[in-house]
Amino acid sequence: MNALDRALLIAARELAAERRHPDGLVAALTFTGLLVLMESLAFGPGQARQPGNASALFWIAILFAATLVASRSFDRELEDDAIDAVLVLDGGREALYAGKLVAITVVLATVALAAALLSLVLLDLEVALPGHLVLTGALGILALPPVIVLTTLLALRVRARVALVPILSFPILMPQLIACTQGAAAALTGDASAALGWAGITAAFALVYGVLGLTIVPAAIE
Amino acid sequence: MRRVPEQGSLPANASLNDVTVVLDDRTILRGITLEVGPGLAILRGPNGAGKTTLLRVLAGLAPLARGRRSVPGGPPLYIGHRPMLLRGLTARENLAFLAAFRGHVASDVAAALRKWGLGSDMDRPVERLSAGQRRRASLARIETEQVPLILLDEPFADLDSDALVRLRAAINTALVRGQAVLMATHMHHELDQDATHRYVLDDGALREA
Amino acid sequence: MIETTAAPFPTIRVRPWLGRLAIAGSLIATFMALVWAPTDAVQGDVYRIIYVHVPLAWLAYLAFFVVFLASLGWLWTKRAWFDALAVASAEVGVLFTGMFIVAGSIWAKPTWGVWWTWDPRLVTTAVMFMMYVGYLLLRSLSTDFARRATRAAVLGVIAVIDIPIVHLSVLWMNSLHQLPTVLRAGGSPALDASMGMTLGICVIAFTLVYFAFLAERMSIELERQRRMFEARA
Repeated sequence: MNALDRALLIAARELAAERRHPDGLVAALTFTGLLVLMESLAFGPGQARQPGNASALFWIAILFAATLVASRSFDRELEDDAIDAVLVLDGGREALYAGKLVAITVVLATVALAAALLSLVLLDLEVALPGHLVLTGALGILALPPVIVLTTLLALRVRARVALVPILSFPILMPQLIACTQGAAAALTGDASAALGWAGITAAFALVYGVLGLTIVPAAIE
Repeated sequence: MRRVPEQGSLPANASLNDVTVVLDDRTILRGITLEVGPGLAILRGPNGAGKTTLLRVLAGLAPLARGRRSVPGGPPLYIGHRPMLLRGLTARENLAFLAAFRGHVASDVAAALRKWGLGSDMDRPVERLSAGQRRRASLARIETEQVPLILLDEPFADLDSDALVRLRAAINTALVRGQAVLMATHMHHELDQDATHRYVLDDGALREA
Repeated sequence: MIETTAAPFPTIRVRPWLGRLAIAGSLIATFMALVWAPTDAVQGDVYRIIYVHVPLAWLAYLAFFVVFLASLGWLWTKRAWFDALAVASAEVGVLFTGMFIVAGSIWAKPTWGVWWTWDPRLVTTAVMFMMYVGYLLLRSLSTDFARRATRAAVLGVIAVIDIPIVHLSVLWMNSLHQLPTVLRAGGSPALDASMGMTLGICVIAFTLVYFAFLAERMSIELERQRRMFEARA
């Protein structure tokens, strides 16, 4: 059983548990939907439709959704000390990080899809470059979990973890936030080269932080 | 700090050398030196003496402030206070996952769970099982994950008489296979007679009884 | 892990001298900045805040780089001394960063009419400030010494790697939107020789202050560590 197999095993375990108790998914969907609604109301219908604003509203909501999904995922591990059974095993730490990354990304993608549809409908958005929008969206979903899962692991047994994870991860995610919102806004307005440029940057972030997370995780997990 | 008497040329399944463990700024274990070889070793001590921490150190779950830990046979099977099973999965799925992660064949999971009285409940999510059933499911790992070192922390909790019989049988089978079993308990039990080594942990220090 | 507060290399006793030098340096620097240096032809006297703003900026970055090195030191050797260095430098760094942001705002308002702009350096500084506040928060919520040190060290390493990335991202965003760079390179009026010398003296003075604060804070932390190690034994 190599490292990739172990990671996929953890991912499968996570998704099986989530399927039976989709509290993380449901909470994130509800919260994100609510947030998109609230933000749109707060901006006012004319303002919220602007590509830059709509893009920003969406990605900020997704950031919070990601912390919710990760939080629920690790709460499940801490109940009954299920995480200890994995940490004892050879390669458990790395597989836990990589596997959770995969599973949380899948759940987050589902939330993002629903939130995107909601935004499109609610704000009656005009999408100039749908293909580019999907690309920037998909890459953005890949770029967020590496940092959030790492931060959640770092704060796993610390008091006030739920508040601490956004505080620690959001500053680190500023570049990702910029890239995602700029890329989405460019796709909405039809600036193909800018959209692709930001998409490339987002992909680079996903890779860099993924590798950084995998390297530093053995030191970080207790 | 006593060592296990010479066991001939068999390598120890696990050893700790002058291990000190500090958690939350309290010294839980001090200067522990221990070799665990094939056979049953029973670890006793009052509550708060550090028995759980000692097992967790052997399992690789507690950081060492000082000393060395060596478990040449690979990751032990550590069955702690809590079931360590993921909620949302069934008993069968949990055990199959853990065995597969080690690279063991998962086909005997159903048979093992049946032996432990979970034949009709192995496909229910573990949160719907009683505390006793969850403990039996986690103990069934003794059959599904066969490793050189087995660490049991208060295994008798929540067990009925059938399960106690099953546990004794499982431990004896493990001993026959040459595995090492280290069990922490403050209950006295018939298994005492089968023990090859008895230790007492008191206020972080280990001695042989 | 070695349960000792001893430094991993021989140290010299500098604390008393540092304090005195820092005070002397600050007095000299204050005189030069407020009195000796000439008034700027363009900006008038308000430019003098550069003598506070620039040194603080340089030292804030230095402080966080020291946190990075100390974090690596802890992760590599698990020597408690490195953790003391990390927390001391982080605290001084947060202080200096906060002061430097405020100084920048005080300078910006009369000079460019705004308290804040989306200049990459300003944004990076704000993000950096938040990261290290988070670092201190993580430390304060952790109870176990070794775990706290490790968690903080991991964060200390990630934060430093992130800072240049934040800077570049804002730069790209601004260039795309063709926002005028309000703060040109250097961000300061052209300096003549006496201004340049004053700035140099101020940098030296603030550096002494940084090391003085660092030494004091480290000694407090090392004392706490020593008491903790004794209590354990």
